[in-house]
Amino acid sequence: MAGLYVHIPFCEAKCRYCGFYSEPIKNHAPERLVSAILRELGQYDHIEAFQTVYIGGGSPSCLPAKQLLRLIGEITGRWPKPEEFTIEVNPGQVNKDILSRLHTAGINRLSIGAQSFNPDELTFLGRRHSVGDIGRAVEMARQAGFENIGLDLIFAIPPSTLESWKYSLRSAINLGVQHISAYALTYEEGTPLQKAVETGEVTPLDEETDRQMYETTIDELEKAGFKQYEISNFAKPGFECKHNLNYWRNLPYLGIGPAAGSYWQGNRTLNIADIKKYIDGVEQGSTVTDESETPDNTQIACETAVLNLRRRCGIILDEFEKQTGFDAMKLFAEPIGRYRELGLIEAAEGRLFLTRDALPIADSVLCDFSTT
Amino acid sequence: MSTELIRNFSIIAHIDHGKSTLADRIMELTGLVSNREAKAQLLDDMDIERERGITIKASAVTMNYEHAGKTYMLNLIDTPGHVDFHYEVSRALTACEGALLVVDATQGVQAQTVANAYLATEAGAEIIGVINKVDLPSAQPDITAEEIEHVLGIRKQDCFHISAKSGLGVRELLDAVVTLLPPPPDDGDKPTAALVFDSECDDYRGVICYVRVFSGELKVKQKIRFMGVGRTHLITELGKFTPKMSPVERLSAGEVGYVIANVRKLSDVTIGDTITDDANPTEKPLPGYVPPMQMVFSDFYPGNNTDYPNLRLAFDKLALNDASFSFIPQNSPALGFGFRCGFLGLLHMEIVQERLERENNIEVVQTAPTVSYEVLTTDGKTTKIDSPADLPDVSTIEELREPFVRLEIITTTDTIGGIMQLSESRRCKLIKTDYLSQNRVMMEYKAPLAEIVYDFYDLLKGISHGYATMDYEFTGFEVGDLVKINILVNKIPVDALSLIVHRSTAENRGRKMLVRLRKAIPRHQFEIPLQVAIGGKIIARESIKPFRKDVTAKLYGGDVTRKMKVLKRQREGKKRMKNIGAVEIPQDAFMSILDSSD
Repeated sequence: MAGLYVHIPFCEAKCRYCGFYSEPIKNHAPERLVSAILRELGQYDHIEAFQTVYIGGGSPSCLPAKQLLRLIGEITGRWPKPEEFTIEVNPGQVNKDILSRLHTAGINRLSIGAQSFNPDELTFLGRRHSVGDIGRAVEMARQAGFENIGLDLIFAIPPSTLESWKYSLRSAINLGVQHISAYALTYEEGTPLQKAVETGEVTPLDEETDRQMYETTIDELEKAGFKQYEISNFAKPGFECKHNLNYWRNLPYLGIGPAAGSYWQGNRTLNIADIKKYIDGVEQGSTVTDESETPDNTQIACETAVLNLRRRCGIILDEFEKQTGFDAMKLFAEPIGRYRELGLIEAAEGRLFLTRDALPIADSVLCDFSTT
Repeated sequence: MSTELIRNFSIIAHIDHGKSTLADRIMELTGLVSNREAKAQLLDDMDIERERGITIKASAVTMNYEHAGKTYMLNLIDTPGHVDFHYEVSRALTACEGALLVVDATQGVQAQTVANAYLATEAGAEIIGVINKVDLPSAQPDITAEEIEHVLGIRKQDCFHISAKSGLGVRELLDAVVTLLPPPPDDGDKPTAALVFDSECDDYRGVICYVRVFSGELKVKQKIRFMGVGRTHLITELGKFTPKMSPVERLSAGEVGYVIANVRKLSDVTIGDTITDDANPTEKPLPGYVPPMQMVFSDFYPGNNTDYPNLRLAFDKLALNDASFSFIPQNSPALGFGFRCGFLGLLHMEIVQERLERENNIEVVQTAPTVSYEVLTTDGKTTKIDSPADLPDVSTIEELREPFVRLEIITTTDTIGGIMQLSESRRCKLIKTDYLSQNRVMMEYKAPLAEIVYDFYDLLKGISHGYATMDYEFTGFEVGDLVKINILVNKIPVDALSLIVHRSTAENRGRKMLVRLRKAIPRHQFEIPLQVAIGGKIIARESIKPFRKDVTAKLYGGDVTRKMKVLKRQREGKKRMKNIGAVEIPQDAFMSILDSSD
């Protein structure tokens, strides 16, 4: 199993909460970047297959159609018919035509950045689409032939309330999508939103409401037939995102494009987070890797445990031992013992997993699996 | 050499009244050191001392001084300047015939001026009053002289007015040392008796004893006996500090110098002990010897990145240079293996703690300091306990006694009210009030040591806007209505958090402790009940609410390295704490229970 991730670091404009690397597309020549991405990808021509491909960003949907289709065409030309081929789109940046062409080109999964169904929350986040755009995008996608559509939602946005969040959730459910990712708003370092918190202009939502929103998410989505399979991810049976599951299994993936991360041949690397330097580097045939780390066996086991435990199924013990060479029950005996007593971890049916009570405070548990 | 030409003297003063500066000036005048040849304030040789402006260890220097055509040998013996080191001061003063009592003309008589003067009188030393800093614009030499006369009975017209900084009046003062102070008695033909008034440990030469020879003499290769500890040693080196170590063949009666005699550990020598000749010993040791008495105790447990053997090693090393603190292994159910340490006082404790961290790079978890108590049990036995955890079952206690001190506070008259309020709240009993001058007063209290040992001094300084000074001296143990407060964290009693307090303040103290603990212990994954119990009865409770949300929303491929680092940091934070059951308690929480701020 291996996945391919392509990062498109362009946006129409940067949202104020976003911590990912992206720049306004108007300052750049998209065709040069796509060429550079294809050239970087060319180094991996010898790879036999990628089971999943994911084009994310930024906003891949803000690329000119010609460039986007060129990128997809090149990928499927070399590795035809991946099991799952996802692209992230912005509700305000798609129309029937482009969606049909994406579907025809081989994309079989859409991830739509809906974020909220409340206009004031979209404004707060700095999103440029409207609530109406979301429904239209889903409908057009369905008409274009997509049968696997996911929505991203954000909760605990300062102007939101438990009621407004329930409204967003129900709206998403009512659109009949197959997948919902629900993230608590994160105040990422260096973002304008985080600065606004520092200056006191923005006050984050209180912890208790945040908690209630998260609990509600799990309850409401499970009632509607979604299964929680990861801390922030919910899917109708059979529609779990295979590409992301690959991350949480800690299996290899190749990341292409500026700021993309890879876990490839035992190395964790990050590409340069600078479009110009990236393009120059690729064109000159030099390395575009910025950071590189080769985790040792224990570190791999810890990373695997932390990532596995984010899944509701948790660590599958014999799979873990095959993959890392360690018996998880022994390697993490101390925290396991402690957290089982506190009812935050359970072991059953050959698996070790966080209990429902542990999910909202997962980091406080997982940090004890981050080193041995 | 006849003792007629020897003068042994000390300089005693309140902190910052100019003792070390005067010592420097005297050494310059006698040609011992050229101006600023050595580091400023030569006699202080430890960093911490210099930073705090105090002297921990006494030293002695020998100088020659010409007067009226004769050459005198002057031995200047330095004394520590803090309340915790009374005994050391008294030993150093016993080694002298006279003392220069230095009082800052801008500050007047202070608590330690008085305490030091008493010690000098008890030691039989002749006192010369010295008013320093008379050249400063804010100096009030006449008022200071009156205070000296009033409190210490030294006639104001006999006081010397000097400026140690500029040297003004210092030569006249040295002349007075020669003419006014008596020479040591001429007892060279009696059996050898020398007083050990200080000691320190040198990495290469072992223990160096500072001595004053009272009778007979000390010679190189002489077999000597330390009468108090009962050990014999062969003298390998004798000498004087000039101020460098200058070896001599012998030290005669009346002289001051050092002895090196193959003593390895500082704990093998006790200050105040008498050295005599093993073959021809003196009948009785010199009077006044008392083994060092620890008044304040605290547990030290290994902290973050430190383990028990390392802590033990660090204590061993410290003990080489400080014979007045003790440490014995201690095992706390809550905190594991550590040491119960005894100190002369709170400042002494702080010094040890700082040296541990600075010189040994060791982190410790320290419990709140406590005093020692005497327990009379129903079987008629009296034992000393120095940890609340060691208190026997209440039903077997006949009497519980706590240490009392004579506390002297000198302050300005406008702050008397505040100070009386503070003192009353700490169970201190006013014995007498004595006006030093129109606007300064000396108050004498009988005080329970436990009540003044922790934050009293800081509060006193606050109330008096920094003017009040204090000094105290242990007077004895007395029965008190004392109870033990137990703290339960998550239903588990934490011995390291227990305290012995007076019954009248127990409930109030207990409640305050809980409030502080609630602030000091971070929120956990579960609710933590905090309880205070006296005997078996819970008298107050609080709880620490759990945190409700702590989870990374997004974790995909590119974030793994960064996120793992964040999680590791979170884990490191936990590791810096002590586990009591499932609860992680930060190290400072153990001290925070005594913090008086609300």
